[in-house]
Amino acid sequence: MSEPILSIRGLRKSFGSTEIMRGVDLDLRHAERHALIGPNGAGKSTLFHLLSGHLAPSAGEIRFDGHDIGGRSPQAINGLGLARSFQITNIFPKLSVFENIRLAVMRPHGVQYTFWKVMARDKAIRRETQRLLELVRLTARASTLAGEMAYSEQRSLEIAMTLACDPKLILLDEPMAGMATEETHYTAQLIREVTQGRTLVIVEHDMDVVFSLSDRISVLVYGQVIATGTPEEIRNDPRVKEAYLGEEVSA
Amino acid sequence: MDQFLVSLMNGVIYGLLLFMVSAGLTLIFGMMGVLNFAHASFYMLGAYFAYTLQDLVGFWGAVLVSPVLVGLVGVAVERFFLRRVHQYGHAHELLLTFGLSFIVAESIKLFFGNFPVDYRIPAALDVPAFAIGGAQYPVYRLLMGGIAIAMFIVIYLLLTRTRVGIVVRSAIYKPRMAEALGHNVPLVFMGVFGVGAALAGLAGAVAGAFYTTNPNMALELGVMVFVVVVVGGLGSLGGAMLASLLIGVVTSLAVSVDRSLADLFALVGASAWARDVGGLLTLKISSLSATIPFALMLLILLVRPGGLMGEKV
Amino acid sequence: MRAVSISVFAVAAVGVATLFALPFLLSQGLLNAAVQMLIAALFASAYNLLCGQAGMLSFGHAAYFGVGAFGTVHAMNAIGGAGLLPTPLLPLVGAAFGLVFGAVAGWFATQRTGTYFAMITLAIAELVHSLAPHLKGLFGGEAGVSTMRMPAWGFDFGSTTQVYYLTLGWALLCVGLLYFFTHTPLGRLVYGLRENSHRLRFLGYNVHGLGIAVFAISAMFSGVAGALQVMSNESANYVVFDPGLSAAVILNSYIGGVKMFLGPALGAALMTFFGYAVSDLTQSWLLYQGILFVLVMMFMPAGLAGLPGTLSRLRQRFGLARAMPLVLLSMGAAILLSLGGAFAIELLQRLFSQDYRSAVRLHPGEAWPPVMLLSREWSPASMATWSVPLLLFAAGLLLAWLARRRGAALEGGQAESLPPGLAVPRTEGAA
Repeated sequence: MSEPILSIRGLRKSFGSTEIMRGVDLDLRHAERHALIGPNGAGKSTLFHLLSGHLAPSAGEIRFDGHDIGGRSPQAINGLGLARSFQITNIFPKLSVFENIRLAVMRPHGVQYTFWKVMARDKAIRRETQRLLELVRLTARASTLAGEMAYSEQRSLEIAMTLACDPKLILLDEPMAGMATEETHYTAQLIREVTQGRTLVIVEHDMDVVFSLSDRISVLVYGQVIATGTPEEIRNDPRVKEAYLGEEVSA
Repeated sequence: MDQFLVSLMNGVIYGLLLFMVSAGLTLIFGMMGVLNFAHASFYMLGAYFAYTLQDLVGFWGAVLVSPVLVGLVGVAVERFFLRRVHQYGHAHELLLTFGLSFIVAESIKLFFGNFPVDYRIPAALDVPAFAIGGAQYPVYRLLMGGIAIAMFIVIYLLLTRTRVGIVVRSAIYKPRMAEALGHNVPLVFMGVFGVGAALAGLAGAVAGAFYTTNPNMALELGVMVFVVVVVGGLGSLGGAMLASLLIGVVTSLAVSVDRSLADLFALVGASAWARDVGGLLTLKISSLSATIPFALMLLILLVRPGGLMGEKV
Repeated sequence: MRAVSISVFAVAAVGVATLFALPFLLSQGLLNAAVQMLIAALFASAYNLLCGQAGMLSFGHAAYFGVGAFGTVHAMNAIGGAGLLPTPLLPLVGAAFGLVFGAVAGWFATQRTGTYFAMITLAIAELVHSLAPHLKGLFGGEAGVSTMRMPAWGFDFGSTTQVYYLTLGWALLCVGLLYFFTHTPLGRLVYGLRENSHRLRFLGYNVHGLGIAVFAISAMFSGVAGALQVMSNESANYVVFDPGLSAAVILNSYIGGVKMFLGPALGAALMTFFGYAVSDLTQSWLLYQGILFVLVMMFMPAGLAGLPGTLSRLRQRFGLARAMPLVLLSMGAAILLSLGGAFAIELLQRLFSQDYRSAVRLHPGEAWPPVMLLSREWSPASMATWSVPLLLFAAGLLLAWLARRRGAALEGGQAESLPPGLAVPRTEGAA
């Protein structure tokens, strides 16, 4: 598979007179784990919004799996196999954790307009929901209201919901924010396992995770990608050091 | 032609009246994010307070004092009711104001009866201004329009030229930042709410004497005011002016159109067919004049929900 | 959990049995009121699907009730008065009209959310309300459209009892279907709409389509309620499109409590019943309803149906012995304040009524005549008259203040005595 699964050309986004994306070119290979790093305000979340359909590009092209997805609706893009998690936890707060995951699982099973069957009877959906619950280690919290969990547990829930639709391309926006070291290790391993055979783009500030998890890293500064390469290449790139990493890597 | 001019002037003045009431509502929404269902109740209270005070302090006294009283009611509503339910979200606030409007209407029925009261223009003002097309145009209509225009100018200058106005505008735009800068934002909220209520009360005091003063006037005007602020753009003062005039003029002109949609079909030679279809198509435009604002509101909500001059939603 | 569901089931069974037994227990007049209560309860349950479950606040729901009503009345008059369907099946016509009109209106309304959605529903309702008087063929003008119930299936549907059982059957069926709906995939998605429709989009759902489906289903059951009313009253009038009915269903639903499935139904039944019961005693019933609504919105957001839950949580936290005084104080305060308020309002209503004012005007200079209240005469000039509401208010406020202090003491005491992990989390207002 030499065709990149995601191909971004000349992507620009302005809000009024403020330009956030200033021309991004990026190719994502099949089944690669790609990290996106950069200083705050560089436009990482904006890039995710543009890829997932939350925002429409002002200019440029985004091709995913052979489809042009720039400016399409979030549900259409998700239907094509692109799923994202959110930097600010975006769950169903007054529903139980089980229900949260189940809502995500229901869509691939095509039951959204079903009003003649009892939900709880569907074994396939229940099994799938259980599996995801165990995967993110939230089985003990199955009947807790999602809004009442600890922040790191909510991040795990976010990940579970993103994986539920069996996506080809996963965008994770700071999935481990607020997690303790052990949780971070577990989640990083979890991400490594579930993204086997899938393409991953992850935004993270924890540099250990970034360098150990990713196949390639892109550095986004002021709305442009200034460098793309393997972790080694990025670590030694002078432009990157100057713009972002500074003293942290040598420490 | 004269009839057209009269209709036009009536429409403009009715529009200015709508603006007096909707100005406060749109500012309050822009500032607090809550659509105050009880805003037209302030209008009604203004009329009824003025009616009650008229015998005590005369007509002009009543018109001056009544808005102040209504403003105080507005301040009390914000301080003791809205602030308490702020934590439950905008929908809850909207419902609370809905309940308050209900209580005000029922209370008015209790104190004044479920029928119109005899709040009239004083004889001194019940004179014609000029003759147009064989009929006399009343001074009072011009007076209402004049007060509305004066009010618009005063608010505009207050908001743009005075220090208080700048603080208010910053609190409307970015309340947390304004608070961080040391301004007493809750006080500003209370003040804007009170002033908005007072403006609606002034409109009621002035208009109630000309149009009818009855317990349903809040409901009748209230729906129109919603149409205005939605069409004009929630939070936009200029939009409220534009939409008020638009709706006032269109409604007024439509009332004098004695044709029906079927007559329109005559242009393409299909009027006989349209008349056969009957129902909606044979209704006269004048009868439909009350529905035009709602059709306009629906259109705007679908095509440009931010309103004519509001933010893009 | 098993014990809870058995007791819930038992309560429900007793409730349904009581409903079936009512015609043997009530007079015809009260039975008629019961029919209206069932209709109001069904309408409120249909409304709650949209409002409480989907989180979409509709301000013009009477439109769908009315469309169902008028569709049914015309169906009843069709075929020379024989009716399009046998009488027991007529509510299907109301359902059909409600469903279609709801789908069309819903397509427009659900394009926006929140306040804008509420405004669209208001505009649609007002559109119908302002058009109806002009379309005399459809809506019959001021006198409305009248009809007659036709005999079917061996019943003549002439007596109130038969009408009651017909209404009860349909109400139970529809409420049952609405309850079943909450357990279906679409029904679960409706809760997702309320909680986070934004996220649903990114999970691949067509949120607009879901909105239309929910809107249409809610309108369908509202249409059934409208049909039942037409069948009971044997007439339909365009006053049904007045903002009053839309307002009533909102008030009823929130007073009952939108967070529980049967909350709005109970609120509607209660309010309708009180409307009947006290309409002879007071002219200010609507004022009381409005005040109750505002009080509920401010102090009891979970509504009346949420009271048992609040009480049981109090008992769990503090134990029966310590919670009882708090509950009794609060109840006492509520009762005293209500009595004081009612007394004052009734006094004022009589003093400001047209009859009284003309009586005063007829005898200028003389002392004001006494008013009749609770079969006694009260003179407006005497202190005794005004001291009654004042004392009731003062006593009520005192009890309320005592209740508040006790509540604060309980909270403070518990914070010290229990380790943090054991405190039952408060769900009201939690992040």
